[in-house]
Amino acid sequence: MFTHITLVARWCLLLLLCIPVLAGLVGVIFPALGYFPAIGANAFSTQVFATLFGLPDIWQMMWLSLFTGIGSTLLAVIAAFCILATFYQSSLLGKIQGVLSPFLVFPHAAAAISLLFVVSPSGIFAAVTTRLNAYFSHAFTTPFVNEISEMALPAANDGTLLYDSLGLSILIALSLKELPFILLMTLSVMSQPLVKKKLTGYVKVGTALGYSPTASFFKLVLPTIFSQIKLPLLAVLVFATSNVEIPLILGPNNPSTLAVAIMHWFNHIDLSMRLLASSAAVVQVAVSAVAVLLFFGIERLVTYTGKRSLSGGNRYFADAVLRTCGFVIMAFYIILICTGVYTVVVYSFAKQWHFPLLLPEGLTLLHWNTATSALTTPLINTLLLGVLVSTTSLVLVLFTLESEQLKPARAVAENAFSVSLFLPLLVPGVAFLYGLVWFQQLVFQNAVWFHTYVAHMVYVLPYVFLSMAVAYRKFDNRYAMVAKSLGKTPWQVFYHVKLPSLFSAIMVAWALGLAISFSQYLPTLLASGGTLPTVTTEAVASVSGSSTRLTAVYVIIQAVMPLIGFMIAWYMPAVATRRRSRQMLVSDTHSNRSADPVQ
Amino acid sequence: MLSLENIVIYRDDKPLLQLSAEVAKGEVLTVMGPSGAGKSTLLQAIAGQLQAPFSVTGQIKINHVVINEIDAHLRKVGIMFQDALLFEHMTVGENIAFAMPDKAYKNKQLKHDAINALLVAVELDGIADRTVNTLSGGQQARVSLIRTLASEPDVVLLDEPFSKLDVALRSQIRSWTFSQLKARNIPAVLVTHDKDDALAAGGNVIEIL
Repeated sequence: MFTHITLVARWCLLLLLCIPVLAGLVGVIFPALGYFPAIGANAFSTQVFATLFGLPDIWQMMWLSLFTGIGSTLLAVIAAFCILATFYQSSLLGKIQGVLSPFLVFPHAAAAISLLFVVSPSGIFAAVTTRLNAYFSHAFTTPFVNEISEMALPAANDGTLLYDSLGLSILIALSLKELPFILLMTLSVMSQPLVKKKLTGYVKVGTALGYSPTASFFKLVLPTIFSQIKLPLLAVLVFATSNVEIPLILGPNNPSTLAVAIMHWFNHIDLSMRLLASSAAVVQVAVSAVAVLLFFGIERLVTYTGKRSLSGGNRYFADAVLRTCGFVIMAFYIILICTGVYTVVVYSFAKQWHFPLLLPEGLTLLHWNTATSALTTPLINTLLLGVLVSTTSLVLVLFTLESEQLKPARAVAENAFSVSLFLPLLVPGVAFLYGLVWFQQLVFQNAVWFHTYVAHMVYVLPYVFLSMAVAYRKFDNRYAMVAKSLGKTPWQVFYHVKLPSLFSAIMVAWALGLAISFSQYLPTLLASGGTLPTVTTEAVASVSGSSTRLTAVYVIIQAVMPLIGFMIAWYMPAVATRRRSRQMLVSDTHSNRSADPVQ
Repeated sequence: MLSLENIVIYRDDKPLLQLSAEVAKGEVLTVMGPSGAGKSTLLQAIAGQLQAPFSVTGQIKINHVVINEIDAHLRKVGIMFQDALLFEHMTVGENIAFAMPDKAYKNKQLKHDAINALLVAVELDGIADRTVNTLSGGQQARVSLIRTLASEPDVVLLDEPFSKLDVALRSQIRSWTFSQLKARNIPAVLVTHDKDDALAAGGNVIEIL
């Protein structure tokens, strides 16, 4: 009975992953080929594509997406490996994990906005450099004197990194956001028990053979684990080429990246723009596919040159350069986090804050009051949606994992499952979400919550699954075997033996699901048609508004919510074990008082 | 020559073991004792790969040069473990080439010949292009041995390297190992549980209690 339930859950999971994505793709391919009955286009033709490629900016938009996507992923990967090579044997590794972990669950929108504050012409970096400039030319000016007239204020576009037409701002923002993910994911692969044992052995041998720690990392550790991080890296790459939030907030507008253009065209009042948008969405999938192929090409190249260098016997691997880079990047992150947090927090309480001052002229709670009243509904929506999505996906995932053990699938099915798990992450959201919405409108037109729920599930399921799968597969199955030999049914084994021992991993996966649901922008916006405001949609909307202070409050709330989720996840298992040990203590004293009858 | 002068190994400031010994070139020092006595830790100390909570005092000298302060990867101390630990992403030949000192051979052909000579010495000629997973346990142990020797170490440490081999294979690989070390005049420290290993090593035996 339980076995059958788990099998059903497994199929549900599979369908939830595949159907929305495939339906979404169909939903954009048809209009792209000119078939859109709603506006009277009833014939298939390639006219739309011709119009698309006739636009003056189209190639530049495609190039911008490709360039920022591949550039940022390569940069993040190289930087992550630099940090790992420098710190993988040091005791600082734990601290680095701690510093970078919060970054992981920080919504992309919040990260982009904080970066905007820090790097903008009126931001803290500009303030500090102007002050230093002024200080060196007016030796007696103190930092807090309002001598604005004597300092050279930068012009609006002076040396600013934002909105540049090369897309460098997008590139840097994306790589800053992706680096923690790549680093922590590689670390989790490296710390699986079997892998860890092998790697420790390899490094010992490498050291004994005379290879420096950095060389051992690149020549021995990386080749061993790279195949396991390839799929997540591809997900990062596809995301980078098709992301909407970051180019929207930090990127150029004429022309924008392809994804942003698609979004604008789909939202255009003129419905015939939908056809153009759909064809652009198909092109976006192609652009991401090209990026993936380029990635494979680069990987081949690196493997080829790497193999040849392995037999060379060079004991070093650009040690000095890479180690310096590792330290510099970590220092840079810490500075960025500190300035970002400082700027955002102070802005949320600031009255007037003139340019090169480092502190505002007064503090007020006005912005927080405004925000809390404006955000009540979005906050409730976000929390409700998050809890619903995360809990149901956790249940589905747990049953699926259990079903894998109760009724293992054949190898082909296993591979198909792994691919479908990554499907929502490998197909650009901006491409299939619009198609999905089109289908959803066909089916239940007013079921806004249901549609948003489905759109969120598509993104939350892969991460929750990956997070739980590691812990689930590490579980020593001999416990289950013992329980079965004691006569327990599969359900009892699952509920009484497995779940309690996996409790902290379950809580972490739940908090992760929450965080991902909280940070969804495009899925919420599209699936609800804008009628379901969440904290993230409000935050992005407020960027184009006139109050940086209100935006700062929104960013703080966006950042704090996932952190609270993780604190609960960390705290609850501790509470549970304390309660359990207290119960055991009580029952112990009980048995001491009365003699147990011999049975 | 390896000299261990007043070596004391501490675990969290409590002394675990202490010894002084000298190992001449071509000789093998055997260290025996129960599990947990600190034998493997001693080897880690000599190799410079000690981790917390262990620490070491005393002087370790190789050819009269104190190596206590030298980084682990610069000490030219080879280690052989219970597991062969051949790198699975390289072929047998690449594993050995990886171990050879940088620029030790003028061109690829000379390097190739050197690798083959090593393989012939342990009766494994012709397998330079095989992947590591296709080798048997005994073959892997032999490749691991010549890989360590290919790096031209000054000292070789053996951490129970024969204990995973079956009885018949054991004595053969043991004799190969010791004869190769003797031929190259390399001092070695062997950690083992097995009395036969100590007998075959033929050098001094230290018992840790």
